[in-house]
Amino acid sequence: MTETNGTHRQTVRGLYDFIQSHLYFNRPDLRLDGAAYNSSLLLNLLTAVLGGKSLIIGEPGLGKTTAAEYVGALFYRLPAGTLWASEVSGHPEQTEEKIIGRPDLGKLNQGQEEVVWSNFVQLPVKIVDEINRLPETKQSMILDGVDRGKWEYLNEIIINDEYCLFATANYQDRGTNTIIAPLLDRFDVTVESRYPGPSYAFLISQRQEKEKLLRHPELEGELQAALRSRLLPEERATTLAAISEAFGVFLKDSLGLATLDGQGRQELRRQVLSTPLNQDANAFSRTLLAELSFCHRHGQKRSNELCDEGCHYTGYLCHRLLNCASNRLPVSVMNYSKALAWFSGADAVSLEEMRAVTPYCLAHRAQWTEAHISLRQQDRRNDPFHIYLARQAVTEVYQRYSEQADNVKEALGRAYRIFQGEGLEPVAGDHPIYAEIRKDLNLEE
Amino acid sequence: MINPFEDFKDFQTEARALPLDRLAPAHDEAMAALTAGYTKLVEQEVKSLVWFVEHNRVIEAYTVACEVIRGLDYDGQHIEEFCYQLDSGTAMPYLISGPAGIYISALCNHVAEADMVLRLRHMQRQMHFLGYRLPHGKTLRIEGDTGNFTGAALNGGQLIVAGSAGDWAGAGMTEGKITIVKNCGRNTGEWMQGGEIWVGGRIHGLGRSVSGLIYQAGDPVTGRER
Amino acid sequence: MSIDDGGKRQVPPEQAAALRQTLERVWPLVRRRHLFPELPSPRLGSSTSRVAMEIREKQITLNLDYAVEMSRFMPAETVLTALLDHAVSHYTCCPWDLATHLRLYARAKEILGDGDQARKATDMFMDVVANTHAVKERESPLPSLYRHAPRDHADQVLCALFENIWGMDLGAKDHRDEVRRLSAIPYLDKRRWGASLTRFIRGIRPLFEDAQAEAAQDHSGMGGHGFRQYRAEEIEQALREFAKEVDSPQRFVEIFEDIQNDLQASGHCDLEGMGFGKGCPVDANWLYYMKLAENYALPVKKIPMRDSGNLHPHSHRPWEIGQPVREVDPWSSFGKYLPGITQIWERRQGEIFGVKEKTPDCLIIIDSSGSMVDPRARLAHAVLGAGCAADAYLRNDAQVAVYNFSDAPAGGREHLPFTKSRTLVYRVLCRYFGGGTALDLPEITSLVRDTEADIFLITDMQITNLDHTIARLSALNNRVTAVHVGKKPGALRFIKAAKQTANISVFGVEKPADIPRIVLGSVRSYLATGRVKKKILEEPAYWSWTKVPPGRK
Repeated sequence: MTETNGTHRQTVRGLYDFIQSHLYFNRPDLRLDGAAYNSSLLLNLLTAVLGGKSLIIGEPGLGKTTAAEYVGALFYRLPAGTLWASEVSGHPEQTEEKIIGRPDLGKLNQGQEEVVWSNFVQLPVKIVDEINRLPETKQSMILDGVDRGKWEYLNEIIINDEYCLFATANYQDRGTNTIIAPLLDRFDVTVESRYPGPSYAFLISQRQEKEKLLRHPELEGELQAALRSRLLPEERATTLAAISEAFGVFLKDSLGLATLDGQGRQELRRQVLSTPLNQDANAFSRTLLAELSFCHRHGQKRSNELCDEGCHYTGYLCHRLLNCASNRLPVSVMNYSKALAWFSGADAVSLEEMRAVTPYCLAHRAQWTEAHISLRQQDRRNDPFHIYLARQAVTEVYQRYSEQADNVKEALGRAYRIFQGEGLEPVAGDHPIYAEIRKDLNLEE
Repeated sequence: MINPFEDFKDFQTEARALPLDRLAPAHDEAMAALTAGYTKLVEQEVKSLVWFVEHNRVIEAYTVACEVIRGLDYDGQHIEEFCYQLDSGTAMPYLISGPAGIYISALCNHVAEADMVLRLRHMQRQMHFLGYRLPHGKTLRIEGDTGNFTGAALNGGQLIVAGSAGDWAGAGMTEGKITIVKNCGRNTGEWMQGGEIWVGGRIHGLGRSVSGLIYQAGDPVTGRER
Repeated sequence: MSIDDGGKRQVPPEQAAALRQTLERVWPLVRRRHLFPELPSPRLGSSTSRVAMEIREKQITLNLDYAVEMSRFMPAETVLTALLDHAVSHYTCCPWDLATHLRLYARAKEILGDGDQARKATDMFMDVVANTHAVKERESPLPSLYRHAPRDHADQVLCALFENIWGMDLGAKDHRDEVRRLSAIPYLDKRRWGASLTRFIRGIRPLFEDAQAEAAQDHSGMGGHGFRQYRAEEIEQALREFAKEVDSPQRFVEIFEDIQNDLQASGHCDLEGMGFGKGCPVDANWLYYMKLAENYALPVKKIPMRDSGNLHPHSHRPWEIGQPVREVDPWSSFGKYLPGITQIWERRQGEIFGVKEKTPDCLIIIDSSGSMVDPRARLAHAVLGAGCAADAYLRNDAQVAVYNFSDAPAGGREHLPFTKSRTLVYRVLCRYFGGGTALDLPEITSLVRDTEADIFLITDMQITNLDHTIARLSALNNRVTAVHVGKKPGALRFIKAAKQTANISVFGVEKPADIPRIVLGSVRSYLATGRVKKKILEEPAYWSWTKVPPGRK
């Protein structure tokens, strides 16, 4: 472990501690290696670290947007006022011109095409408030852009080097649209910004001025000017970096808070993504994916094909799901597990990190059958229903995995050798993973 | 093509090898062999799932039983377990008491151990023909009640029933000793030709014995010495 | 395994502190080896009992005195690691959850007939499984602990067994006979735990039949595995599963009553979910049907979507000459009217959530005459079906009334006015009169007069005043679903009469086990169609006299 590893980790942990102590007051609800964290804050921070996409749900007024603003401001060294100005709010009249950019009207009347890009597109922190109130096309437009960091308007392109998305949504109620499944799938995690409890709520009421900690009107003005300016992209980037640096100095001097510049953030990402997985985490994730996509009768799970009663695999998750796990799920699980392992100082991703993160990655992607929903609706729980269902699913798979961990790893080890050409028989077992291994080896009956 | 299992190429299991790993499968194997033997016996001897107690049929069944168990590797523990499996009806759906008892007797008579204990106290049903033709040099102790024809045709062995026996206990025994701790039923010692039957409790009825000794609560009740 | 400490020795504070530090160091390593079970950090505490540990609601508390005592023979780290391995293996392997624990206990009780013996036998079995799992899969130092731990007779036998199946010298005395019987059991095969437990009990039964004094002791120096170690959510889930698995309500009641004290002691006997405090003692028979009904997937009433009624700008499309210019978006068109450049708004109505229709209330009329099954003696599908209907309505925020009748005019009836209390509903549903069969029609009519309540009638149609019943029900405006078992003469009359009505649907079932499914089918249809009065749609495997089943002419 290099010295920089430790320094960056310390910095990020410092940000977490600061936000938790001064800005975002909430109860810890995620335990890891003896430590307790608030899931919403932690996962949003990891979203910023990874450049991911987080869907934050919760009742109105429970800090969904502010949590994202704090994380974005501190991680990317941007004053809060700048972020406020760049947020896209979800309402049906949003247009591409308001979200992405517009033509410079003066130049247009002179017959020249020049794009004035929105703050939303230029800044690395993208916050969309109440995304489910946007029409489908606008949701899709934002998610397409954030997928690759590429925004296009009037044949001009702007590419973000680094970016992350925080989208908030209230629970389903009147007057809101829904986010359709293909769009939901693009989010890495769903987190709930919960009610903090009466004592923390009281504390919040006592600290109403806390947002001023992240304000700097002068630098905000400079940033605004830089964002509006007609500088070349490289020059603008340099200017923005310089202003960010100044804000970083301000944070250090006024709050004693160390933050990261662009280079630091890139290095940090490299460190995170290079965190290895231990074999249990590896095997567990394959076991989980097998249950989420397997169908004995139809070859794979498909949304338009229902599972009948009497299938041998009735006790597994595949029987209770309508859809197949997309390839984005393992990407999200892997990245966030690595980020969490890195954050907690582990040498490698273990089952613990994977189990902690997976429910949040799975909750918005799994479509459960009505029968399963009906059976679980009355359960006691602390999470919103879909996160609870995902957590229960992960716990079940964990139980099955821990009963046969050695067997699963043995199966995967032997599969390697069979794949290399050795004439061995694959390990047999009851779980879908064994059947999937056979398919991978082209030994399907 | 990339090998998707690359991460597990160096996997070595960390699980310890325990004697249990071979004890349990060996037991299952032995039980499977005993079950297969019994099934063969039933298929040969009991064509319509009805079996009558006839002297020749008993002998024939015993002969077949001895054939089917030839070469099997088992011990007294397996026999006891087999009795319970028969009783529960889980491993095999039909227990036909006569052939079952004969089969078990064949197993007992050919097992390596000289002394055996079968704890059958908790069986739901009682088996007939236990101790059939128990040979010289074998001691079989049965804890629990037995059915009819207990110790029939005893052939020099020591049979102890720590419970009650049914009817026709010791029928046709030639030598050896049967000890029944509690009671026994009617026709006890029917056509006996030798040996001794000791009944600690009550004998409900004596059979027509040729020779041999029968005792009830320590007192002789019949028998002419050879 | 327990310590024999005649006088209670105080553990010096420094030693206790050192042990606590060791525990803190050892716990993360144990967690890692056991694949990170979700358990809180264990504690060291003093206890008046001699056992090595206690587990309550997943909290492991190791006995400080025991740990100190054992530390005389081996390093403290080894002692604590072994103890934690044992405790964690119970959580991660056997029994894992209360449902498994109940299953094992029920099997043991079936064999042994005595609750205390069944508990001990189950505990011993679970100890063998958990310890063997820890030794085989998790490199546990448990053998070292067993080598030095003091033992009573039962522990001696277990120790001898461990020696044999682990292949290690633990200094055990010879118990060849018992060990032979116990050694070849596949302890680590979870699918066979039921059969394995049966064999295990056969092997250890002599221990129970021995001296009563010995049997009265808690055999396990490791600590008994009571039912207080589970959390409320686990208990609810386990009871649900157990209700589904047992073959009779009596069995469920028997087992539940055995563990009820443990559950009450940990405050998990409230029924209506009113916080986590102690509720009223629960009747196990009602609980059986309540839990069994929870295994049925009830219809979920979805919030309907509707158009928002407002047109909002949805997307742009190119303007073509001849199209109205009213919807031109000047911003997107850059102030120009040029084909290919000018954009116009396409407006659409949004889809938003509509108003959730209020679910009507429900009156359940259930026959508990002598010809119907006594719900206490055997599984009464009529009660189960009624329970499913009640749950479906209660979940949709409606009220349920129950009219349980036998010979109603003679007083053989109980009626519950409309209520939202699930417990009360089940209390009345489970009542059994066992007498004649006659309805008090004026009373029933008065319950639903001027309401839109749905009516479910579950009976075998051997009702004395059937004709009047038909007439009265026909005269109502309420939707009526009648479910009957078998093709009795009364049923044919009812069916014939129902054909003349618009509001009564009749279903007959061959097997009583089909009743819940039929009832739920009707409920599903009612909830889906709101207040529109419709005949029930057909389903296979039963016949409906209101419509011709598919395939029949």
